Amino acid sequence: MKKITRRDFIKSGATAAAAAMAIPTILSKGWYSFAQAEAAGYFEREFGITEVMCRKVLAEALAKGGDFADLFFEHTISNFLILEDGKVNRAASDVALGVGIRTVKGDQVGYGFTQDLSEKAMLAAASTAATIADAPGKEPAGKFVPLKTKNYYPVTTLFSSVPLDAKLPLVQSVNDKCFALSPSVIKVNVVFHDQQKRILVVTSDGTKAEDLQPKSYIAATVVAEKNGKRERSSWNYGGRQEFSYYTPALAEKLAKRTVDRALVLFDAIQPPAGEMPVVLGPGVSGVLLHEAIGHGMEADFNRKKISTYCTMLGKKVAEPFVTIIDDGTIPHLTGSINFDDEATPGQKTVLVDKGILTSYLHDKISAKFYAVKPTGNGRRESYQQYVIPRMRNTYMLAGKATPEEVIKTAAKGIYVEDVANGQVKIGEGDFAFYVSQGRMIENGKLGAPIKDVNIMGNGPKMLANIIMLANDFEFYEGGAGACGKGGQAAPCGFGQPSALVKSLTVGGVKG
Amino acid sequence: MKQELYDLAERAIKIGKSSGADDCRVSIGGERFVEIGYRDRKPENIREASTKGLRVEIFVNKRYSSQSTSDLRPDSLKTFIGNAVASTKLLAEDPFRTLPDPKYYQGRATIDLKQYDPDYEKVSPESRHGFVKAIEESCLAKGGDKVISVTARCYDGHNEQLLMTSNGFDGYQEASVFYGAAQMTAKDEGDRRPAEYGAAVAMIRKDLPKPEDIGAEAAVRTLSLLGAKKLKTETLPIIIENRVVSDFGDGFMQAMFGRSIQQKQSFLADKRGQKVASQVMTFIDDPFIPGAMGSGIFDNEGMASRKRVMIDAGVLKEFYVDWYYSRKLGWEPTTGSPSNVILPPGKRSVKEIMKELGRGIFITGFIGGNSNSTTGDTSIGIVGQLFEKGEIVHPVSEMNIADNHLKIWQRLAEAANDPYPYSPVRVPSLVFTDVVVSGI
Repeated sequence: MKKITRRDFIKSGATAAAAAMAIPTILSKGWYSFAQAEAAGYFEREFGITEVMCRKVLAEALAKGGDFADLFFEHTISNFLILEDGKVNRAASDVALGVGIRTVKGDQVGYGFTQDLSEKAMLAAASTAATIADAPGKEPAGKFVPLKTKNYYPVTTLFSSVPLDAKLPLVQSVNDKCFALSPSVIKVNVVFHDQQKRILVVTSDGTKAEDLQPKSYIAATVVAEKNGKRERSSWNYGGRQEFSYYTPALAEKLAKRTVDRALVLFDAIQPPAGEMPVVLGPGVSGVLLHEAIGHGMEADFNRKKISTYCTMLGKKVAEPFVTIIDDGTIPHLTGSINFDDEATPGQKTVLVDKGILTSYLHDKISAKFYAVKPTGNGRRESYQQYVIPRMRNTYMLAGKATPEEVIKTAAKGIYVEDVANGQVKIGEGDFAFYVSQGRMIENGKLGAPIKDVNIMGNGPKMLANIIMLANDFEFYEGGAGACGKGGQAAPCGFGQPSALVKSLTVGGVKG
Repeated sequence: MKQELYDLAERAIKIGKSSGADDCRVSIGGERFVEIGYRDRKPENIREASTKGLRVEIFVNKRYSSQSTSDLRPDSLKTFIGNAVASTKLLAEDPFRTLPDPKYYQGRATIDLKQYDPDYEKVSPESRHGFVKAIEESCLAKGGDKVISVTARCYDGHNEQLLMTSNGFDGYQEASVFYGAAQMTAKDEGDRRPAEYGAAVAMIRKDLPKPEDIGAEAAVRTLSLLGAKKLKTETLPIIIENRVVSDFGDGFMQAMFGRSIQQKQSFLADKRGQKVASQVMTFIDDPFIPGAMGSGIFDNEGMASRKRVMIDAGVLKEFYVDWYYSRKLGWEPTTGSPSNVILPPGKRSVKEIMKELGRGIFITGFIGGNSNSTTGDTSIGIVGQLFEKGEIVHPVSEMNIADNHLKIWQRLAEAANDPYPYSPVRVPSLVFTDVVVSGI
């Protein structure tokens, strides 16, 4: 069932990851040239995609006019190794291959795609895309200039070159460490995921951009039992990382964090309901920044005047100590991109500068509408979808207070340590996010642990109500999350320091 | 394309077996679809394509993996499956991973489920554009001067699915789907711009409502959100509207799966035969409803579908247990894939129920939230209307409900007479008493 309004961020734990991977693994070596990590020339080498062919297809896409057209070739190999009941006893893999062809006329988009990379199939898809326009045909550029960018996630060893018997002990070790840490642990699930996505973007104005985007994570879920009560906790580490990132020390850290978090839940309570001060802890609480604020700053919502931020450009939206950035250039972070899916280079975009809303997040369509340069936020889930503005890594800069001062100032409220998911209604700005773990704040100090409570608020109001920021900025180090918008998932990162919000609604169990 | 799918599946199984697999299960899906969006009385986007994908599950030396690909070139497929079989042999042994006993394939129903519209091929580009334009126009007209933006959309597709196993199962399903929707954003006080949608989906085109009704629904629902207020935290009766019951009920359903139980992540694990909900709660899994999206005569593993009473007058009777977890648990398998969820409707309309309840919240949407399948704790944001004495007073925003699934379903007081037709979850609006609705 399709839903138009849903827009949520899912931080998948091991369980969710295993369930989500509808299908399948383990390509230790293969029939594509896995040994070649360099991006350039991949699609020509492996699939015979030539510039002559691209030009012909682009000409077909512009056969009825239009402002521009582009081709998005994708070849993605995703692998999962899954441990359940003490053994790595399931593997899954998925290969996605295809090309999406887009014709753009003003704010109108025609889109066709095919999994068959023959010229005939591509011309048919281009012909579909072309139907959005109704003017005399146009010619694409005569030659395509390769786009040169920095590489924010260089790959020295492809995952497909890492033998399975190197990955298996890593997954097994997380399981063994979890059980060793506490006799209360009764079940452990571990998922290791790696993905290499190759893309080639060819634009009718003469740009050609090729990339190799790695993505991976290791996730653990622990169920613990104590005095007949059960609790569950999940955590993961990852990003645009290669296999060398997954050291024994990281496996140890993952096991400890997951088990510690499960054990603390035995003492957790659900907090009282109502409005109260909320301290968003560093790192993972950035989900709220992403949901409550970031989505409303995506330019398509503002261009259509359906975002609550559409009249606020250049105006004060937060206190002067608040600066918010969306950035595709943080090395190895989940949301980083060398260039976006319409070949605009990866970059850093300041959304809120010292409290003033300075920019939206643009793709080419919205940039033209606002007469600004694209910000490199044109992204898509796969070749099957067209580009829409999406966040990359969204974060709020650190403040000057210590975390203790922030908690002391809150006096009485809740402290958020982990957030499971969230959602926003763009037009109203209303949001909700689910706190899977946190603490009560009483008398200016951290108190009893809390769990499983939803927090509600309004994005613009919350942004204006951030009254203190700490000096403990962290990026979220997980790699299993994906942001959903318009039915498309995209890897995004986030980060923030401890932040005190004057008041939010806590959906507790009693008044 | 049916024969093409069969040929491909047979070839994949042959490659798997000749590469050393003991058994294989292959599923292949193909779809042709068209999607059209309108905004400002012109096409905003048009998307159209044909897709095909293959998934092969490999069982070798008591080891298991599953692989999927859209690269179906013969040479690629041969190498893909060959490598997959070789790699699967490196995994840990799992004696519970086998194909189902073929006896569970037997007894497939012969009912015509009417999931493919014979007139699908006759749908013309003009009729699609006409349909979506009518949705947009109706929404614009009904929304009047409050409209900031209206987006209308239609989607139709024809899909074919084939499932084949190396131990004697094959099953083919053909279906069509038609979808129409509108989303409206309206002017409200200050900077608030509430948005809501109207939508319907059906497998037979004539089962869709008129496009004018879809557009009008989006407008009426959006206008109903103007002037939303946040209330003080209060314990109230709530009515969850039929079309969003599944968003809340999912948290309960998650605990009914064999995996959740075997992995000790289910608050229902030891509750079979016990009362887990009020008398009102009878929950039937019915795979045989003609024209319904969840219908099918076999499940994802090829096991013959059965109609099952999962909860009978509040008593938990069955779980969703697939073949693998049935072996791990030592239980009989049921199915791992829910079909259509049915909860028998009551006799009164939502309006009539509201009159009797006095003051309460009519929940028409949820935001965020989550549910813990291990403990049953849940907390979720709500969108809806405050009502008093049967009349809507005003919409509410920034509010939340929190409870535990083992407790709240015991307070299910009544089902309305309005089962939702446009979803596999065909349940009516539900009334719960004494729910903490938190706000200020």
